Amino acid sequence: MSPVSESYLGITGYLIFWLLFVVAFFFFIQRLIFLFNLIRLGRPENRFDRLFFRIKSAFVIFFSQWSNLKTTSLRDPAAIGHAIMLWSLTLFAIGYLIFIGLGAGFGLNSILFNTTFEGIFFSVLDIAALLVILAMIWVIIKRYLIVPERLKREQDFTEKIIQPLLITGITLLMLFHLGIESFRYAAYGIPDSGSLLGKPLARAILATNISQVTYILIYRILWWLNYVLLLGALVYAPYSKHLHPLTSFANITFRSLTPKGSLKPVDLQKPETAGAAKIQDFTWKQLLDLYACTWCGKCHIACPAQLSGKPLSPRELILGLKEHLMETGSIISKTKKSNLTVESREKNAPNIMQNEQVEDTAVIGKVINEEAIWSCTTCRTCQDVCPVYNEHIHKIIDLRRYLQMISTTGTAHDCLKNLRVRGNPWRGTMHARTDWIEDLDIRIVGENSKVDILFWVGCTGALEDRSLKVTQSVARILQLAGVNFGILGEEELCCGDPARRLGAEHIYQMLATNNIQLLQSYNIRKIVTACPHCYNTLKNEYPQLGGNFEVFHHTELIEDLIKKQKLKPVSASRELRVTYQDPCYLGRYNDIYESPRNLIKSIPGLSLFEMENSRNLSFCCGGGGGRMWLEEKTGQRINEMRLQHALGSKSQIIATACPFCLQMFEDAVRSREESESMQVLDIAELLYDHLKIQQDNIRFKDSD
Amino acid sequence: MKNIVVCMKQVLDPEAPLSLFKIDPEAKRAILPKATPPVISPFDENALEAALKIKDSQPAKVTVISLGKKLSRAVVRAPLAAGADELILLEDDLFDEFNTLLTAHALSSAIRNLGQYDLILCGIQAADTNAGQVGIGIASILDIPFITFARKVELIGNTVRVEKVLPHGFAVIEAPAPAVVSTSYEAGELREPGVEAFMSASKKPVTVMNAQQLGMTTVPASPVSFRKMYQLNRERKCEIITGSSPSEKVDRLMSVLQQAKVL
Repeated sequence: MSPVSESYLGITGYLIFWLLFVVAFFFFIQRLIFLFNLIRLGRPENRFDRLFFRIKSAFVIFFSQWSNLKTTSLRDPAAIGHAIMLWSLTLFAIGYLIFIGLGAGFGLNSILFNTTFEGIFFSVLDIAALLVILAMIWVIIKRYLIVPERLKREQDFTEKIIQPLLITGITLLMLFHLGIESFRYAAYGIPDSGSLLGKPLARAILATNISQVTYILIYRILWWLNYVLLLGALVYAPYSKHLHPLTSFANITFRSLTPKGSLKPVDLQKPETAGAAKIQDFTWKQLLDLYACTWCGKCHIACPAQLSGKPLSPRELILGLKEHLMETGSIISKTKKSNLTVESREKNAPNIMQNEQVEDTAVIGKVINEEAIWSCTTCRTCQDVCPVYNEHIHKIIDLRRYLQMISTTGTAHDCLKNLRVRGNPWRGTMHARTDWIEDLDIRIVGENSKVDILFWVGCTGALEDRSLKVTQSVARILQLAGVNFGILGEEELCCGDPARRLGAEHIYQMLATNNIQLLQSYNIRKIVTACPHCYNTLKNEYPQLGGNFEVFHHTELIEDLIKKQKLKPVSASRELRVTYQDPCYLGRYNDIYESPRNLIKSIPGLSLFEMENSRNLSFCCGGGGGRMWLEEKTGQRINEMRLQHALGSKSQIIATACPFCLQMFEDAVRSREESESMQVLDIAELLYDHLKIQQDNIRFKDSD
Repeated sequence: MKNIVVCMKQVLDPEAPLSLFKIDPEAKRAILPKATPPVISPFDENALEAALKIKDSQPAKVTVISLGKKLSRAVVRAPLAAGADELILLEDDLFDEFNTLLTAHALSSAIRNLGQYDLILCGIQAADTNAGQVGIGIASILDIPFITFARKVELIGNTVRVEKVLPHGFAVIEAPAPAVVSTSYEAGELREPGVEAFMSASKKPVTVMNAQQLGMTTVPASPVSFRKMYQLNRERKCEIITGSSPSEKVDRLMSVLQQAKVL
């Protein structure tokens, strides 16, 4: 029954089978080795810790399709189709291994054929085949009729040809499956254990009353066509993004397990390894990302820089780097090899040419221009929506590190110089760090005060006009709740977040080391801050430099104080609609979504209305990643776009929990013609207003 | 290789917030709290930038000289990170950063000690006193030419070529080297150090000299004395202009400004 056990023109089917396999497998492996060697050009990076956990969790993520399904919405349900494809094709892959590999290749078909196992398995595959065909119809609609924004991309000639071929190929594999089983049944008799669709199809074939010889012939032709098509796919996959089932699995396995908000540290003793300018300056993991990308475009349509018309697209960054790696990688690896033997380099003049070509491997200006590099707000939406765990921000930061530390292009010069010289990014501020205290009785830790928790005020909270009120509100709330807290006062330096996100790692480390030493010298264990950027850096990045503190965001601490009944908000004087902006570094980076919302809900009379894109899909205010100190010249202003979302919620108050969001919204509100009816407040201010009344009431009662 | 000397002064941070400044009327000195570090006078940073621009285009050694009673190492080392090659610190209790005559003499001695020098650069004035006397002092003590308000400085052979800022343009002035040139802010803001310079700054040579080592047994008394130093009491009047639209607010603001004869 097995087509492989027959002879064709005197040649045994087994020989043809294995010969074809060896040839295809050779090309497959050869290409894999080539690709593997390309990523070996990258710098080392240790992603081999907790290997068992990595593999185990990668299996779960991969086969559950969670990382893709989590972004499914009515507007974009494609992930469901993808999950169906993956699950179905995985079953097919197992089927191919059993029935083609073991069955045909090793002659076990006589045992497998017409068993109950085969019947059940084929029935499942029948359903899978139908689902895949449906998915293919969906693909055709999505690629040619209703093309979603994320898939719109300039395609070259080969891509235009390959796509329909691929759709045809997958559909054919499914049809072949149905054809092979039904013609086999028709030719050799329908077994009782026959599959769900195989049996009725076989009966339909038999009804045509063509000869058995023809059925056998068609069966064999279909079988061999199916086999050749499969081998063709094996050869084709590593030349395309369709290697992604393999590479994305590897990429998920080697994903970052460090806190989301911590950037890779730079060894300042080896300044030559700071940042990336050439493709081989990235680590191997950053290069593996390029293979894993399936250009689904989810990052492209989520990126605030892209949506506001800046020249940055996270998708194009990845795809551009991949094309660049393919073009230049082989040149670099050849040069590397020839550099191994000095003699050969001296002998061969052409190698000098190759060395010059290595200069072409520069990424900045070729794959991505400087404006695009500085356009990133590091909001992390791209990484959050990426189904294959690509790390766009790490690449952008590495490029910034090169621009800032090696070629010193002078971007954000004032901010960085002020950080280096004065320890804060707000050049020209008229405030000293303790000016906000005014008549509040605040302890300063350096002045021999014992405190339970340190209130990390942050530069913006202490030095930027509007934010002083937030800082005062936080301090007053803590005082009302009887928290024994203190501040560092004039000794506090910038946490270093702007320097680090702007690529000036040397300035970041200088500030961070100073702060850590200071905090340790005062025996500080617990820290509360009203700035998500300080929060993230103190909590997730200081441990890299030996600073381990228990860090709270003010919304977390205040929520706890309300739970413990230390604070009781009173009803608002009138019903108000409030919308909340999730700060990137609080939500996406640190998964704090509920505390701020609970605080708003804790005030009777206020109702919370979400704006479009909230929580993990929250749209950045435009102030992160050092953008607070850079001009926004191209395209729309991100803060004004976000204000439109906020207006859509028809709220009277925009509440936020980040000094940058606050400032960006204030700016956006001010730039509107009609500036009434929209108030921007930090949650601490909002809450304090509703504690104050209570305090006044208490005082009134006391004096009674 | 050309030898360029840049004179740089450590000053109270002119950008420090007002609330931090305290005056000691007895000592006639401004006092800053510990947490606010001094800075290099921004005018002198322009001078260093001018020197580094020369070094970008030809082999040159840039020596920075700073003078003071007590200099913050973290602050005065910054020019090394920006690209200067060597640092000479003139530190002595006898020194007084407000005595420009003394400063000019001490700096001149230190420069003479160097032996070879082709160009001496300094800012047009210090950001604390704004006196602008040291540059010309050095030039007269060393008896070499002095050019002020340079926006561009070049060393061509044995000639110092300077573009001097004028109210409506610039003049090109040439002088034989060595010469003293004072730079204006048009010479450019000092570059931020790259990581390599930043890290290697601590390895660059620093020489510390006191008055005796400079051959100054007595120091000239300051020809200028402070009669009084006090904190200016500024009264602020604040008026919020209201209006139904931004353009209306602007119109009202304009008329208020015109009434106040500001515009």
